[in-house]
Amino acid sequence: MQLPQAQVAVLKTADPTEDRPITEVAQAADLKPEAATRAAFALEAEDLVEITEHEETAVALTDEGRQYAEAELPEVRLYEAAIDAGADDRPVALGQLLGDAGLDGDAVDIALANFARKGYGAVESGEVSADPDADPAADAERAVIGALAAGGAADSADAADLDADEDVLNQLERRGLIEREERTTRSVQVSDRGVTALMEGVEVAERVDELTPELITSGEWADVEFAEYNVEADAGAFRGGKEHILRQTANRVKDVLVGMGFEEMEGPHADAQFWINDCLFMPQDHPARTHWDQFALAEPSEIQELPEDLVERVRSAHREGVGEDGDGYHSPWDIETAKSLDLRGHTTSLSMRYLSGHQVGELDPPKRFFSVEKVYRNDTLDPTHLLEFFQIEGWVMAEDLSVRDLFGTFTEFYEQFGITDLEFKPHYNPYTEPSFELFGTHPETGELVEVGNSGIFRDEVLRPLGVDVDVMAWGLSLERLLMLMYGFEDIRDVHGTLCDLQLLRDVEVVY
Amino acid sequence: MPVVDVDPDELRDLTGREKSDDDLRADLFDLGLEFEGWTEDDEMQLEFAPDRLDRLSVEGIARSLRYHYGDDRGVYVPTTNDAEWTIEVDSSVPEGRPYVTGAVVRGLDMDEEALQSLIQVQEKLHATMGRGRAKGAIGVHDLVALKGAPGTGGEKTIRYVGVDPDGDRFVPLDSDSEMTPADVLSDHPIGDKYGDLVDGFDRYPAIYDSIGLFSFPPVINGRRTEVSTQSRDLFIEMTGTDQWTIDHMLNIVCYALEARGARVERVDVTYDDDATGEFAGETLDRPDLSVDRKTVTHDRIESIIGVDLSPEEIVDCAERAGLDAEVSEDADVDGGAYEVEIPPYRVDVLHPLDVIDDIGRAYGFNDLAPRYPDVSTVGGRHERSRLEDAARDALVGLGFEDLLNFHMINAAENFERMNLGDPREDDAHAHGDVLGAAEPTTIREPYSEAYTMLRTWALPSLLMVLERNTHRAYPQDLAEIGLAAHLDESENTGVAERRTVAAVLARTDASYEDAKARLQALAGAFGKTLETPPTEHPSFIPGRAAEVVLDGESAGVIGEIHPEVLVEHDLELPVAAFEFRLDALN
Repeated sequence: MQLPQAQVAVLKTADPTEDRPITEVAQAADLKPEAATRAAFALEAEDLVEITEHEETAVALTDEGRQYAEAELPEVRLYEAAIDAGADDRPVALGQLLGDAGLDGDAVDIALANFARKGYGAVESGEVSADPDADPAADAERAVIGALAAGGAADSADAADLDADEDVLNQLERRGLIEREERTTRSVQVSDRGVTALMEGVEVAERVDELTPELITSGEWADVEFAEYNVEADAGAFRGGKEHILRQTANRVKDVLVGMGFEEMEGPHADAQFWINDCLFMPQDHPARTHWDQFALAEPSEIQELPEDLVERVRSAHREGVGEDGDGYHSPWDIETAKSLDLRGHTTSLSMRYLSGHQVGELDPPKRFFSVEKVYRNDTLDPTHLLEFFQIEGWVMAEDLSVRDLFGTFTEFYEQFGITDLEFKPHYNPYTEPSFELFGTHPETGELVEVGNSGIFRDEVLRPLGVDVDVMAWGLSLERLLMLMYGFEDIRDVHGTLCDLQLLRDVEVVY
Repeated sequence: MPVVDVDPDELRDLTGREKSDDDLRADLFDLGLEFEGWTEDDEMQLEFAPDRLDRLSVEGIARSLRYHYGDDRGVYVPTTNDAEWTIEVDSSVPEGRPYVTGAVVRGLDMDEEALQSLIQVQEKLHATMGRGRAKGAIGVHDLVALKGAPGTGGEKTIRYVGVDPDGDRFVPLDSDSEMTPADVLSDHPIGDKYGDLVDGFDRYPAIYDSIGLFSFPPVINGRRTEVSTQSRDLFIEMTGTDQWTIDHMLNIVCYALEARGARVERVDVTYDDDATGEFAGETLDRPDLSVDRKTVTHDRIESIIGVDLSPEEIVDCAERAGLDAEVSEDADVDGGAYEVEIPPYRVDVLHPLDVIDDIGRAYGFNDLAPRYPDVSTVGGRHERSRLEDAARDALVGLGFEDLLNFHMINAAENFERMNLGDPREDDAHAHGDVLGAAEPTTIREPYSEAYTMLRTWALPSLLMVLERNTHRAYPQDLAEIGLAAHLDESENTGVAERRTVAAVLARTDASYEDAKARLQALAGAFGKTLETPPTEHPSFIPGRAAEVVLDGESAGVIGEIHPEVLVEHDLELPVAAFEFRLDALN
């Protein structure tokens, strides 16, 4: 029979005729007590040994007890000093005796209290008289401490082995000189099956560090013992690649929107102001159209072609309005401004291209479209604002949409991200009417925070595009959603060339 | 968004309601005016969307509150007295500022608060509707200081004319000496701020009474007619590039002053037969306090708000919004319609939809129950975005950290620090058309020198990330799939935009082979055959650079980054890299 080395040692060391404590077997077999215990249980599982458990009270010296075992109990020192000074004859001044006995501090009180209790003598008016018949050598407390100290490194023993009555142990425990603890000890005895196995021969199985292909294919793995690992130890650092946290968030948003029936849009980053602003019924002298807000391009500066009939309809909407009762803006409108190129300040330029029928052909309602794409703003760069960021943009095109449909759609969308109790604050945008700022309850802090902007596109936007049903739309920044959901404080750590690789490596995944 | 400073005590006086500050704040929030904080003078700073410009004054906000409380209903138009004064518009008025309007306001109980409020509404109107005074500029004068001259309208005429920049002199506000308009532009502090508005004009706009020049719009008024807390009667003039705009700015100011107990008196504006602009030969009766009318159908109101409403409810909501509505007699509209009147201080009602929004606000949008629209559509991702995601997954599987960098960059990072010449400079063509060396899309007025153009390739961004993370653990294997762009006349926008795949391996033993092994795996994942014929590229070590050819098409470059580029980026270990067009994996 082949057994691991520790089991072989325990089996050979244990006795078939008598119970031996495992600690004793361990010592004899040169094993750590825990290893011997583990081996004994493994052997018991194979019926090779029998284990018997005993309950006992372990008595151990405290630090103070150990100190007195070495230097003598304070009351005994006082008594010996008193005898030496002749206090058995006549009282001697306490001060002198304390000096002789080398007692000071707390030891003085301890010595005096126990001196009297044990009948070593009396202390009156600062003078000590000793009882000549007292015998420290017969002091039961002193005997227990001595026996424990003689017992070995642990200074402990089974209470049953100490020749001491309960009162003495209680007294010592009160004095804080010993500690008692209930514990289980196990002893082991070789079983009949174990004896048979020993007679047939027991060998130590081979111990290997690594499971090799040879071990597996040769079948030797069955006879080897695998070295135990410290499975709790730290492992070395490992780094795999990871999708960027903002991409993960974008994909999460895309999944939600696709699930809600939205198709993805795509289109140019550098685009004519016509698609970015004019189609959106933003007057050409609107403050947000200045270069202070959007990046105008120097080279190239102008789009080559715009659809002529659409340009005319958009110009007319700006100048004359749309519908019988519609008024236009009292702002200048010229084609040069419309043709000039900007980096798009929002992805609504894509919505305009799609709605116009010039991107993917005429749309047959109902439709839902979205994009999660970059936009560019000439804003102040700070922890919450970037010059480029991702905008989530979505719209629904159908007949007779109401603000209630808008509320219902956005409530559904935001709940997917744990943002609940949506509130709709009436707002103003040049391109939607009615318009609403969206506020939601922050999933962590419970605060009311702005989570987007929305509305139903104006007739002045839709009619020139050739759309005669309703379209409701909304937008928000992906970075804002990321910061709300995951608590980033400085978006520059995440997005852009100032990013901190460590932060990207350590950040939790999004799902 | 506009911000106005409002004394809550004034709001309490003007609304006649003793509301606590907190209650006022809540009521204002309901109107869309957000409390931003207190000023040093204990005034509330209120921010609001720039549609309701009639709320730029404390008087206008108080009026909105009275409608909100139900204390006022329907349209209110103040009565006006007949005109005594005329503004004559001369043919010499510069073409760049042809229009003028005006009103007289009498019996004002002017005090410090009223004066401050008047100054604020002027400033705020200048900043918003007036487009920084370019489109409309307001001048308010103490009527007792004006002396009318005989003219077309009688004895009390003032004249809007064009003068030579050095053609006359007056004492402007905040000055003690006489100056010509040209002097104002060069020497007066306000000249700096608004000088651009008349820059290039042969003649400058000027307003005269019989005493002489008293206003130089849109720059500054004269001191003679300065308004003070002693002023009781005011002459208000506005000049600009659009008559409708200045007329409506005037309406907002007149409504504000009328709310303080003043009486509005009309002014005739007489355009000379040869005046520039649309109104030559016409006389306008100002202020124009006529109401605007829109027809709004019942069906549209219900379909937008999403609930059934009775005609009585609709009329009630309109009146609470400060509009008048009555059921239209015109019977040919299915479901019925309403004739709605809009007061002359409203500048935001362009279309019946704007009326519906007002009705919805009065009804209470937030009381509406959300419903998910019963509209079925099929969702899906764009093919390009699916390709990009698949390539990104493959790169991450190969151990790359996915990055996301800005598309904006500057020429130094994009070209010079990569050892590439700027293609816009003559001697740069030595590099030929290697990846990254195309002409860039440039930004006209960049926010900072760091972002002046769109990147023509993505490896510079990755090198910048390596440069900023030399204190972080190596290896640093980074990849990015993102936008790169360059000039291309064959595109309608003149810009060729493409998605590019870029990767770097920064490690003590990074080699060409490490990069190629990964590129090979990536190409294989998309079923593409990879060939790497030798090439030259200034960013890479000669003899260790190759063209990336996928299925026979040249798509990019791969190699070991040139030590010159590494040192430039403070890198102390080798970097192997590749970059190619994403659509080559398609």
